[in-house]
Amino acid sequence: MRPREQAAAWAFLTPGVVIILLFGVAPVVWSAVLSLQRNNLFSPNTPFVGLANYRQMIHDPVIAQAIGHTLVYTALFVPGTMIVGLFLAVAMNRKIRFISVYRTAAYATMAISTISEALVFIWLFDPSYGIVNYLFHVAGIPQQQFLSSPSEALYVIVIMTIWGWTGFAVVVYLAALQGIPQVLTEAAAIDGASRWTVFRRITLPLLSPASLFLMVWLTINALQLFDEVYFSTAGGPLNSTTVLVYYLYEQAFGGANFNFGYASAIAYFLFLIIMVVTVIQFRVGRRLVHYRS
Amino acid sequence: MKAHWLSATVAAALLAFGLTACGTGNGSSSSGNLQIWEGYTGAEAKAFAHLLSEWNTAHPTEKVTSLYVDNDDSLPKLLTAVKGGSQPDIAYVYGSWAPNVAQIPQVVNLTKVVQRPGVNWDDFWVGERDVATVKGRVIGIPALVDNLAVVYNKTLFAQAGLQPPGPGWTWDQFAADARALTIPAKKQFGTAYVTPGSEDTVWHWEALLWEAGGQILNASNTKAAFDSPAGLQSLNTLRTMAVTDKSMYLDPTDSEYANLFNSGKIGMLVTGPWDLSGFPNVKYGVQIMPSFPGTSGGHQTISGPDNWVIFNNGSQRVAAAEKFLLWMTATPQATYFSLATGDLPIRKSVEDSAGFLTKMDQALPGVDTFVTNLGNVKQARPQIPTYPKVSTILGQMIVSVLLGKSQPAAALASAAQQVNAALASGSGS
Repeated sequence: MRPREQAAAWAFLTPGVVIILLFGVAPVVWSAVLSLQRNNLFSPNTPFVGLANYRQMIHDPVIAQAIGHTLVYTALFVPGTMIVGLFLAVAMNRKIRFISVYRTAAYATMAISTISEALVFIWLFDPSYGIVNYLFHVAGIPQQQFLSSPSEALYVIVIMTIWGWTGFAVVVYLAALQGIPQVLTEAAAIDGASRWTVFRRITLPLLSPASLFLMVWLTINALQLFDEVYFSTAGGPLNSTTVLVYYLYEQAFGGANFNFGYASAIAYFLFLIIMVVTVIQFRVGRRLVHYRS
Repeated sequence: MKAHWLSATVAAALLAFGLTACGTGNGSSSSGNLQIWEGYTGAEAKAFAHLLSEWNTAHPTEKVTSLYVDNDDSLPKLLTAVKGGSQPDIAYVYGSWAPNVAQIPQVVNLTKVVQRPGVNWDDFWVGERDVATVKGRVIGIPALVDNLAVVYNKTLFAQAGLQPPGPGWTWDQFAADARALTIPAKKQFGTAYVTPGSEDTVWHWEALLWEAGGQILNASNTKAAFDSPAGLQSLNTLRTMAVTDKSMYLDPTDSEYANLFNSGKIGMLVTGPWDLSGFPNVKYGVQIMPSFPGTSGGHQTISGPDNWVIFNNGSQRVAAAEKFLLWMTATPQATYFSLATGDLPIRKSVEDSAGFLTKMDQALPGVDTFVTNLGNVKQARPQIPTYPKVSTILGQMIVSVLLGKSQPAAALASAAQQVNAALASGSGS
């Protein structure tokens, strides 16, 4: 490139670069600094404490719980969303009447704001007045406490978020399904394969790139679960739905804690977890994914 | 090539313009209007705007401009502004943040200001003054005050054949009424308790603790004092209703209880005046808190006042800000604000003025009891920066008892141990 062109290129790039540096890189660097300090942002006195914030995590019983909840949540949410999404996508990958209505309806869950979603589920699962307990009553199942019970609340949040993300999985799978050449499935059918065999041996392997993408994407989102917890249970009852990002928020802003140093340390720890999980997923995924050119 | 140079110049110019625009934001220059951050909406916003325009007309050289900042978010925003040197002159700050806000170097010490002639500092309620004072230093002027009392559904009381509660009632009566008001088949509960485990969970219990004659911390705020007979009595009372009688609806959302009360599903609520306007569908009455007979606590209640805080932007602006705040919180302005909004009066002299209570009660039935109940606020929560940690521990303790996960005595002992550890390690921060 000639120097003059280079100058022009930089002139065009600079605004974007400045914005990324200012709002992307600077906070990342600053929170790294914060994680090595005791800093509540009020007091000008911000002593450097080395790795004390990271060591504190080892002795914090709540963070052990938060890690556990995050992992349980992810382990249920990711396959749950993928299975439900795949099921609906296959059901909708047909030429039937009003198909666009069904597809819109499935995707609508993505368009609904988390607050509305949380409010609706709070009332559905209300122990005394909710419709779910009413149906349980009609069916003769014992009444449950749901979001008020430390042993059930996390699972209600799993159901809530699967519902919320299903539309996304449906769209991804639907697009992938429509990219599968019909000649392959027809050829298999002519060779005498049953519909289940066609699905298992041809459709599913050809969907593997979409599955890998969904798995990685949903896992990253699951590890960063926050909104649904914030709006429905606020981490309770008794920390039973406290996940890592929620705990981080609690330490930084919640209830006037303002442990910004500790919260930043947790953020870096979470970053580490996400990186490791994603690398593993890609390594394993590469072996299982069947790409076709 | 020419075109490239042209676009490069334009882009560079735009960029330069953008950067300078950032640089000349609403920085705190020594001239210009005073800036006040407040989070008023609805009737409060209207009344505040009215007072502001009155001040600005009378003081053309010391005009005040207000900026809406949601109260819940104001502290992070204030911190950001202070870091950038663009703090407002005055801000509305929650009382529970006072010990933390006091650590900001730019916060102006008002100890001498409130002693000026004409301010009449003792005219503010003791609960307000306590929350505006951190370690002997006054850092704020009271902006809002409230308290907890019992709001009850008159219709449900009549249906259950119960007498409405009187001012001399006890927690035993409260629990018995709650039991009588509970009808599982109709999904009707005697009372409710908010169980998110937040400070809202905690301060409801702290009122009971004080009524039972107990204390949260010792006098020097260095050790837990709630693991006491009073602590046990207060937790046992709540446990009886939540676990044994199942007369208490537990609300982890901290908001459903109000809708349920307004739908006639809950007999009694311990809540504050801010909820009254949300009960148009039921006939309700208001009574002061019950007592524990045989203790020194009486019918006292708890208050959660908020403050106006001044930030230092130069002595001239500080002086103007002080002058404005003292005017804003003087008796005539405080009276106007209460009558226009239904907020409780921040000064005792407002309550005493002729016809005030009647006018308040016409606007918002039952609020007069909350006004007189301000006299039952005898003390404030510990004014220490570690209180949020204490509150988190107490919140878990209360919720675990109400959910039947632990026994009151064991929960108190374990919480006291955690609080002592937090106080010991957190004293430096």
